[in-house]
Amino acid sequence: MSTSTVTRTVRGFVLLSAACVLSISLHAQRGGGPPAPANAAIGNPAAIAEGEKLYNEACTACHGKDGTGGELGPPVAAQNRRYLRRTDPEIFDTIKNGIAGTQMPPFSAQFTDDNIWKLTAYIHGLRGTAFDTPAQGDAAAGEAIFWTGAKCGGCHMVKGKGNVLGPDLSNLAGSRKVQNIVDALTKVNHKIVADGGTHDATIVANTSYQPVRVTTADGKVVSGILKNEDSFSLQVLGKDDLNLYRFKRADVKVFYDPESLMPHDWDKRLSPAEFQNLLAYLTRLYVPPPPAPPARGGGAPVG
Amino acid sequence: MRSTIRKARFASLSLAVLLGTVVAGQVKDADLLKPDPNDFLLYSGSYDSQRHSLLKQITSENVGRLQAKWMFHLTGAKDLEAPPIVYKGVMYVGQYNRVHALDAATGRLIWEHFRQPASVGWQRGIGIYGDMVYMVAQDSALVALDRRTGNPIWEARPSQAGKRFQGPMPFAAKGLIIMSGSGQGGGFIEAFDALTGKPKWSWNAIPKPGEPGSETWAGDSWQNGGSPIWVSGSYDPTLNLIFWGTGQPSPDFVGDNREGDNLYSDSIVALDIDTGKMKWHFQNTPHDVHDWDSLEMPVLLDANFNGQPRKLLLQANRNGVYYILDRTNGRFLRGVPFVSKVDWMTSLSPEGRPILAPGHTPTVQGTKTCPSTAGATNWPSPAYSPDTKLFYLIAQEGCGVTYRSTTNFRPGQGGSGTAYMESPDDRERWQLYVRAIDALTGKKVWDYEQVSSFHYGPGLLSTAGGLIFAPEQQGMFTALDAKTGKALWNFNTGGLITAAPTTYSVDGHQYVAISAFSNVIAFALPEAP
Repeated sequence: MSTSTVTRTVRGFVLLSAACVLSISLHAQRGGGPPAPANAAIGNPAAIAEGEKLYNEACTACHGKDGTGGELGPPVAAQNRRYLRRTDPEIFDTIKNGIAGTQMPPFSAQFTDDNIWKLTAYIHGLRGTAFDTPAQGDAAAGEAIFWTGAKCGGCHMVKGKGNVLGPDLSNLAGSRKVQNIVDALTKVNHKIVADGGTHDATIVANTSYQPVRVTTADGKVVSGILKNEDSFSLQVLGKDDLNLYRFKRADVKVFYDPESLMPHDWDKRLSPAEFQNLLAYLTRLYVPPPPAPPARGGGAPVG
Repeated sequence: MRSTIRKARFASLSLAVLLGTVVAGQVKDADLLKPDPNDFLLYSGSYDSQRHSLLKQITSENVGRLQAKWMFHLTGAKDLEAPPIVYKGVMYVGQYNRVHALDAATGRLIWEHFRQPASVGWQRGIGIYGDMVYMVAQDSALVALDRRTGNPIWEARPSQAGKRFQGPMPFAAKGLIIMSGSGQGGGFIEAFDALTGKPKWSWNAIPKPGEPGSETWAGDSWQNGGSPIWVSGSYDPTLNLIFWGTGQPSPDFVGDNREGDNLYSDSIVALDIDTGKMKWHFQNTPHDVHDWDSLEMPVLLDANFNGQPRKLLLQANRNGVYYILDRTNGRFLRGVPFVSKVDWMTSLSPEGRPILAPGHTPTVQGTKTCPSTAGATNWPSPAYSPDTKLFYLIAQEGCGVTYRSTTNFRPGQGGSGTAYMESPDDRERWQLYVRAIDALTGKKVWDYEQVSSFHYGPGLLSTAGGLIFAPEQQGMFTALDAKTGKALWNFNTGGLITAAPTTYSVDGHQYVAISAFSNVIAFALPEAP
């Protein structure tokens, strides 16, 4: 990374990151709980497996493996994505009829409606998160562990309470799968690799939570989380004072710590029951999406 | 009162006639063969595709004072890949289904042309010839418009059934507009009469049974198509040849059904510009299973090579190798890796054929290969400076994991059922560099790291001012010292950049322009109005 020497630092620092690369601003595709399935294929494991096969034959070349985006098409199930087509009938219609004015062709000639529902069920499943399948356990006990036992709130915020160094976890269950959350608690540098073909839609925030140590010309040291960088500047959230710092790259030395600030041994620090309860709490952290805006023509008159 | 207004109008009209710069004359072959450096008429600026401008008002000494002069927003556009072209002070920019003509000194709109439906597809700009500019429509039409007003003149479509134009800028040369694309039966190149739109010749990248090269496709696998041609190429008027790259065989990552070299996929081909007949081909990646299209711009250079004056063709290929060919006959002269890890081959044969390393065929579980499918470089244009004799390219260091479908490929089943990911090993993470290499040896001279850019974005521009204009995918527009790679100036455009810059001069002032996401921004020194 860059031209700087990478050093390792020791930190007795308590930090819970859901996954190294997350931002929690995602609005889940549901409102207030799972809707009734529009077709029996939705949630049916056999249909989903069939749908995966069909998807891999017809869709991955453009939309990427596991829906994570490809050279010619957007991700249909990537993390942090806000979908234009959110409901099962909308997904079905898109596959069947294509999207006019884009490269998305209709598949009505290639697939039966039955198979298009299987594809829809597979994509629906890819988009599913912990909220759909929360972990067993005592969530109330897990909440106590979060705030007092493990002191996760020393770095993380949940619904306005806690701290700002790590990712906000208010909608963790609405944006991550259970396994992602387990990995974040138990694995070193559980990084999410980029899909090869992804075209970023636009400039996006750096959500790597990369720990850095910046030394200025006068010897001052700022340790913290990299919020962004380019060849000319760096933006850093200071670990100790939680201030935002801006640096000219030419004026400083930067050390990139290869290890995340997030401890990765919560399965050892906590008893199995405590770990399960914490997981039960985390897999229920959910913020429903805001209500849809009024239809065009409704609402207050425009003056 | 009335007569006063009339008089005033008449006065301003005559003033305009007296003082205004009249955009007269047609773009002729002579203009394209030896372009006025004040203009920028082609995707790569010139037929040799060096992307080197002779303009030198902006230099390594004064570039630090470069200022944004104007910005034009293309409402509803995104991912602009078009280098703006400029003819006598008028700029033409667009993508599928839209063209905007702008005053290149002020960015003021002169005319615009829209075709339904509104589109945001990736398309690489507007061609110009005679009194026409040429737009590519997403419904696979080549549309000629009057360059002064945008009035539609004619439309042409691929003459072969089942073929579609893809996104290259229409390429104007010798009275022709050369287009390309893919479709049923694979990639193709087709030439149209620039004035009338009548088809003149077409060339297919995948030979039909019985034609030379068809023996390199097992069974009827040639029918699966592939070898799409989505970038334009270069032209040597003295040899009367055009040089184009071709794309990967289909399906991308599954080679079981298509044993053989799969000609003319992943190749550089030389076609006679009058007839479309192939004079030679060089296949960079025979029987490709990594989607390494050979669509990186071939750069033409006349130079002494091993003591002999040679007509060379240079290409930094997606497969990680920098190739030097003799463009008179396609003979391989040199091939050297230009990224640190190229593990899929052990060496090149004397003919330039890669000797494969075992264990790099994509699997269901995923197979690691360096470079990744995204490529050691990709379509973003390289540049060559005759002043430094360096070849400048966008290098992507890193490795990838390539997957094939969970089931066997079945012909007629649509896409190729595969994908690729970044290598999960942190030491093999993707990182972009502007890399300067010695054009004749391929030896690295300097690197400029594009911090925070991990996936290919924009192309490069070299100028006689000793500069390399190197936009970054993450929106920075940066000027580098062509000799050292040191950053001398930068401007944050605020939008993802996936286009190459252009430079031109109006009223004695040099401008540098870049398409950044949905805007075109032009820069000049403070002296410019």
